[in-house]
Amino acid sequence: MQSDATISVRQVIKNYGSFRAVDDLSFDVYTGEVFAMLGPNGSGKTTTIRMILDILKPDSGQISVLGGVITDAAKDRIGYLPEERGLYRSVKVLEMMVYLGMLKGMSRPDARQRSLELLELLELGDHTKSKVSELSKGMQQKVQFAVTVLHHPSLIIVDEPFSGLDPVNTRVVKDLLLSFRADGGTVVMSTHQMWQVEEMADRLLMIDRGAQKLYGRLEDIRQQYALHAIVVEGQGDWAALPGVDHIEHNGREGTTLYLKPEATSASVLAAIATAADMTIDRFELAIPSLNDIFIQVVEDR
Amino acid sequence: MTNHIWQVFAYELQRNLRRKGFLFTTFGIPILAYILFFGYQFISSRSAGGEDIATTITESEQFQGIEKAGYVDHSGLFTDPGDLRSVLSPYANEESAQQAMDAGEIDIYYVFPENYLDTGDIVAYMPRFSIAQATESLVQQLVYAHFAQNVDPILMSRLISPAAINEVNLQRDATGETTTNFDVDFPVIYLFVMIMMISQFTTNGYLMQTIIEEKETKLIEILISALRPTQLLIGKILALGVLGLVQIAVWLGAVLLLAQIAGDVGTTLLFLLNISIPTGTVILFLVYFVLGYLFFAAVYGMVGAISNSMQEGPQFAVIFVLPAVIPLYFMTIFITQPDGALATALSLFPITAPLSMVMRLTISTVPAWQVILSIVVLILTNVGMMWLAGRLFRVNTLLSGQTPKLRDIPKLLRG
Repeated sequence: MQSDATISVRQVIKNYGSFRAVDDLSFDVYTGEVFAMLGPNGSGKTTTIRMILDILKPDSGQISVLGGVITDAAKDRIGYLPEERGLYRSVKVLEMMVYLGMLKGMSRPDARQRSLELLELLELGDHTKSKVSELSKGMQQKVQFAVTVLHHPSLIIVDEPFSGLDPVNTRVVKDLLLSFRADGGTVVMSTHQMWQVEEMADRLLMIDRGAQKLYGRLEDIRQQYALHAIVVEGQGDWAALPGVDHIEHNGREGTTLYLKPEATSASVLAAIATAADMTIDRFELAIPSLNDIFIQVVEDR
Repeated sequence: MTNHIWQVFAYELQRNLRRKGFLFTTFGIPILAYILFFGYQFISSRSAGGEDIATTITESEQFQGIEKAGYVDHSGLFTDPGDLRSVLSPYANEESAQQAMDAGEIDIYYVFPENYLDTGDIVAYMPRFSIAQATESLVQQLVYAHFAQNVDPILMSRLISPAAINEVNLQRDATGETTTNFDVDFPVIYLFVMIMMISQFTTNGYLMQTIIEEKETKLIEILISALRPTQLLIGKILALGVLGLVQIAVWLGAVLLLAQIAGDVGTTLLFLLNISIPTGTVILFLVYFVLGYLFFAAVYGMVGAISNSMQEGPQFAVIFVLPAVIPLYFMTIFITQPDGALATALSLFPITAPLSMVMRLTISTVPAWQVILSIVVLILTNVGMMWLAGRLFRVNTLLSGQTPKLRDIPKLLRG
């Protein structure tokens, strides 16, 4: 465990009546990383996030955020984008941002200045005086994101940051998240969009029914779920190769060769190389996508 | 901690001050009343002016739409109406005057009792009660015409205040059975109570709306990740309380101004100037307003916390609003027996106390112990209500997307 954990969760339990929402959960989020929280709907992600934010209290266990038990001062250093988005509908964009910035400890001029900068950056410079209800859904999402990073937080917790965004705006928000990390910020991201996690996340936690299922570096987890199999493209009778148990044709995705327990990828590669009647265009370990891993974990429960 | 309360306070205050609904009720209603009042003045002066009546009457006085009037004189002082003959006809008795009114020959008739000179009391009969026609100016003219020359000290006092109309018979057939006590008290109480009630329910309605809006739009989750729910609630209650006081100040100011202007024009609203409401009463009025506001702020805060839509909220609130307006149903009892058992009981019971006490204080001298007791009871009730509101205005309730069932509420309060 690294010492510079921005968030440290230890043996946290939270019940709603007789329902256990979070079950003995422990993990760390390190400073300067993008940390993904995954899990099916109702798995306890939002409850965990709310406990980190001190909106809810855990029944037992410890949570330390930004160097200790959360304080009001620490709260001012966190930006939060809840899954259920919310903005005043009939209030002007700039006015609302200034208020929310002030609640996070900014002075009025600072909040105003920074809001204008962010709105400009998000191409909403013409809408500072518009009411939220007059904006398109995508614009509202961007305003919401602007509110999250308004007060120069050092930690942002974003729940489904890309939902409702078109590909262009998804790119805009993604770039902002990555530049936030590049500036030393820490991102906790909860999402169902696995490819976003594969592209952005450094480490991840997957929970199901409130308990930890997967936790660690993205590459390590994928290696851990690597099949004893190889994906190939080329010509030849793959099933006849020594060490191959059975094969599976995946159309344009190539052919998956499932290996016998005693075989290794190296022994199979050597066999292909020495076979006279085989050509090979592609040869790689069959590492499942995060999506496959997610489905496998949930279905195995 | 307090910083957040002030931020919420400042924001909610400036935001709600600019609400169209608030601006309309606060400034629109008085403006509308002014327009109606002066519009009426203008029209009635146009119709009365320009005719020969005006020339026959000294000082071009208008009679508020009365074209012909009659009088029955039992005092023996006004045998001849003199110059006023074109507007004012004498009748020998009530029967003949009533016949003339039934036939539409006259709009109103006055009866001077035998002891008129001592009391100044007269009875006015008119087919329908009209506040505009309940005027003393015709009688004043009659009295001036008779006594202006030979002024002696007793007569002078009657000249200054010739008629204190304290009975208006609403019955067309002059059986005289159902006379309503028409006093200056009634409109004043009505005014006070209306100001208090409208202001209280407008501002508390806004309180509930802002809470439900934040719940409905889910903004509440962002807010309570920055501050405590109770800080949010306190900030809002303070802001909207100030809003209510602003509203009351504007309305009372408008009433006083109208009375001032109307007084100059010489209308029936002059009565407002003649009533001196002691400063102590005004202060108590404000105290009861604040205590009543806080009680309902707690109620509306709780209702806001458990409601999930603008439709739902008011339905819950009605449960508390109905008992609070009970005193209005008994307004006549308050006027006739301001210190009776019912009025006293209602003014001590916390929910009805603010309205009841304000009514009683306007008309009667309420014993100090009752005032103190009712204030103490209200303060204690408010402390309890605020505690309950604080228990309910919490994360579990605010973030839940469902409206709790009645049987769940004790559990929510226990937390």
